[in-house]
Amino acid sequence: MQDPTAHGAAGSDPTGPDPTGSDPYGQGAFGSTAPVSAGFALPLETDPRSKPAKPRGAGPLLSARGIQKSYAIGERKIEILHGVDLDLAHGESVALVGASGAGKSTLLHVLGLLDRPSAGTVELGGVDTWKLSPTQRSALRNGQIGFVFQFYHLLPELTAIENVLLPAMISNSTAGFRRRRAGLRQRATEMLEAFGLGQRLKHRPGQLSGGERQRVAIARALFNDPPLIIADEPTGNLDTQTGEDVLELLFAEHRRLGFSLLMVTHDERVASRCSRALEMVDGRLLTRR
Amino acid sequence: MYRWFLSWRYLVTRRTNFIGITGITVAVGALIMILSIMTGFLVEARAMLRGGLSDVIVTPALFAGQGVPRTPHPALEVIRSDDRVKAATARLTWWGLLAGAGSSAARSAAILNDSQADGLNAVQLIGVDIGTRERASQFGVRNFLTLMGFDWTPPRLQGEFETTELLADLQREPHPWRRGAPVANPYLPFQAPPGFMRAGRQLGFVIVGEQLFTTLGLKQGGELKVLTVVPDPVSGELVTNDRDYIVAGTFRSGENDVDIGRIYMDRLELWDLLGRQHTYSEILIRLNDFDRDGSAVQHDLVRELGERGLIVPVDHDPHTAASQVRTWEDFRQVMLSAIENERVLLGIMLSLILVVASFTIFAILTMMVTEKRRDIGILTAVGASPRGLLFTFLTIGFWNALLGTGFGALFGILGATYINEIESELSSLLGIEIFNRNVYIFDTIPAVLDPVAIIAIVAGAFSVTLLFAAIPAWRAARLDPIVALRYE
Ligand SMILES: Nc1ncnc2c1ncn2[C@@H]1O[C@H](COP(=O)(O)OP(=O)(O)O)[C@@H](O)[C@H]1O
Ligand SMILES: [Mg+2]
Repeated sequence: MQDPTAHGAAGSDPTGPDPTGSDPYGQGAFGSTAPVSAGFALPLETDPRSKPAKPRGAGPLLSARGIQKSYAIGERKIEILHGVDLDLAHGESVALVGASGAGKSTLLHVLGLLDRPSAGTVELGGVDTWKLSPTQRSALRNGQIGFVFQFYHLLPELTAIENVLLPAMISNSTAGFRRRRAGLRQRATEMLEAFGLGQRLKHRPGQLSGGERQRVAIARALFNDPPLIIADEPTGNLDTQTGEDVLELLFAEHRRLGFSLLMVTHDERVASRCSRALEMVDGRLLTRR
Repeated sequence: MYRWFLSWRYLVTRRTNFIGITGITVAVGALIMILSIMTGFLVEARAMLRGGLSDVIVTPALFAGQGVPRTPHPALEVIRSDDRVKAATARLTWWGLLAGAGSSAARSAAILNDSQADGLNAVQLIGVDIGTRERASQFGVRNFLTLMGFDWTPPRLQGEFETTELLADLQREPHPWRRGAPVANPYLPFQAPPGFMRAGRQLGFVIVGEQLFTTLGLKQGGELKVLTVVPDPVSGELVTNDRDYIVAGTFRSGENDVDIGRIYMDRLELWDLLGRQHTYSEILIRLNDFDRDGSAVQHDLVRELGERGLIVPVDHDPHTAASQVRTWEDFRQVMLSAIENERVLLGIMLSLILVVASFTIFAILTMMVTEKRRDIGILTAVGASPRGLLFTFLTIGFWNALLGTGFGALFGILGATYINEIESELSSLLGIEIFNRNVYIFDTIPAVLDPVAIIAIVAGAFSVTLLFAAIPAWRAARLDPIVALRYE
């Protein structure tokens, strides 16, 4: 186990990007008690910090096949996704572009286990996720997936540091959280400090600027060290400069921690910084690059 | 752990919760207070209803000519030999008319002239077995023993005083607005009042109800004419009897119809007035433990007294036989049922307050779930399970229930305990008398804290609140997270 204080400032970590897709997460890396056995490390109630370590077995982290999604509006059935296939390797970063209303968010929700597809399968670490119980899927969301939304989506009643601690609060029992509280708080503090929010720990989301809120949201998404980060237009609500800074931070963490990143963006320059770019056109995925 | 953390955070950051908690607090507190006061009132009312009634009353069908013995002693012997019986005494009762002060001629005129009928009062004449002259020596012994530090009441006095409230009625302070004249020695009431000068005639003494005494304008030591109608022992025809008595003093029971409609005299005195036919009409019995033995003793006495021919036996006429031995509850059956009914009704009505209070929790939580839709979506995205969300919102209900019932129980118990202090504070603050002591016999508001009732109220409020909280909590668990997450 690595010392929780080892979380340095963004970009200062010598570990570069990990193009081989090796697994940066050691066994027992996640603070979750998910009852699923998957290809990746599962869940001990431990401090979810570990050195990027041994590569994972072959096979993609995420594998979606034949995803369809349709909504019934009255009599009519609108199909948003017409059979999407997608593989996401460990550690790679994928940009998803496409016109507004093309179904990008819908796809992310399906891949993020928030929305059940009308047809198709989503495998995460080799586990067919939509065959699991709701509680098991919740545990996967908690330990394996971090979300970053366009509208930050922080809990307004919680302070910045409490928002960051939320994933750990959910994965830990009351007793477990109390036991690890000091360590977890220290880790959250260090993360926020590294993100330039050292003076904002006790502030509520309402007292923070958009850029600050999004950085808190990124810290929250990263807190349980998930192997997959899903970001839906993370800069869509920010001005250009603030958006640049937030993206810089996200890419730096990606390089340092080696998680897989799936990000919706409208910015071609951002897309070009990712290892792959996909385009969603009328509910289908086209490879851009 | 987020369930406890978040539910508490939501509780303290949402003001509406305090409305809910206050609602439950008020409901539980009021319920405990009202129920305690009602229980107090009912206990007092039960005691009042019972009044001077003995536990068991034997009324032989004497005048039906069934050949029942004319003296109470054989029956008293049987009754007193029972271990469950604490005391027993015989009484003779009859009805009469009273004429107060004034010449007997004027009073006779009053009898004939109907318009003046309010000068006459129909009263119950009760001959009690206290004994006067022949027991004076016993009383002397008692006084002596009391002086020596012993507490001893002569057995004969004990019978009468134990079975009825006569002693208490004789000792009670006179009503402030009426002219009471308590007797000098309540243990020997049928004696000449202090300073009384016997004016030639040898008259018996009577004790008059305080209100009757006031109404008739009687004087302690003054004379009182009692008229009765009795069947002639020989011819069987009805004849009127009248006799003058000396008012030895007054008694006060606090019950209006008793205080205006009853006079006491020695049993043998009344026996003499009624033409020396019947020595007693009823035997009053006090048991050691009425609640335990009441109905058993009642049943046994019907059989034992019947077998000995002291009352009409069962095989002669079962219905008459049973009606000769009654408990005090038999006399007050209707009123007791009414009280019991009232208590049940009250419980039901008051439970509605609880339901209403719990319903505010339902409304508040439903509002909160709607308001917190986005939070629920966020929590789902971060990994909260539907079950976790259900418990989170249920826990908010739990906090509401816990704080509401806790404070409610506290205030309710304090309120019931200090109800009289609260009442006098409020009365002086508002300048009105909230508890009118002239309306009730009690001088203080009676409140009886019943632990079982309090636990039932708290447990009931708690579970009803949780039950109501469960509905919005269940809704929270079933919300679609996507809808909340898609837009700001
Ligand atoms: N609950 C829903 N019911 C009906 N249509 C929906 C629903 N949610 C999304 N849509 C539609 O699905 C389409 C795709 O939406 P979305 O995935 O948000 O697109 P994008 O993120 O690419 O802009 C849109 O036309 C939207 O109106
Ligand atoms: Mg979108």
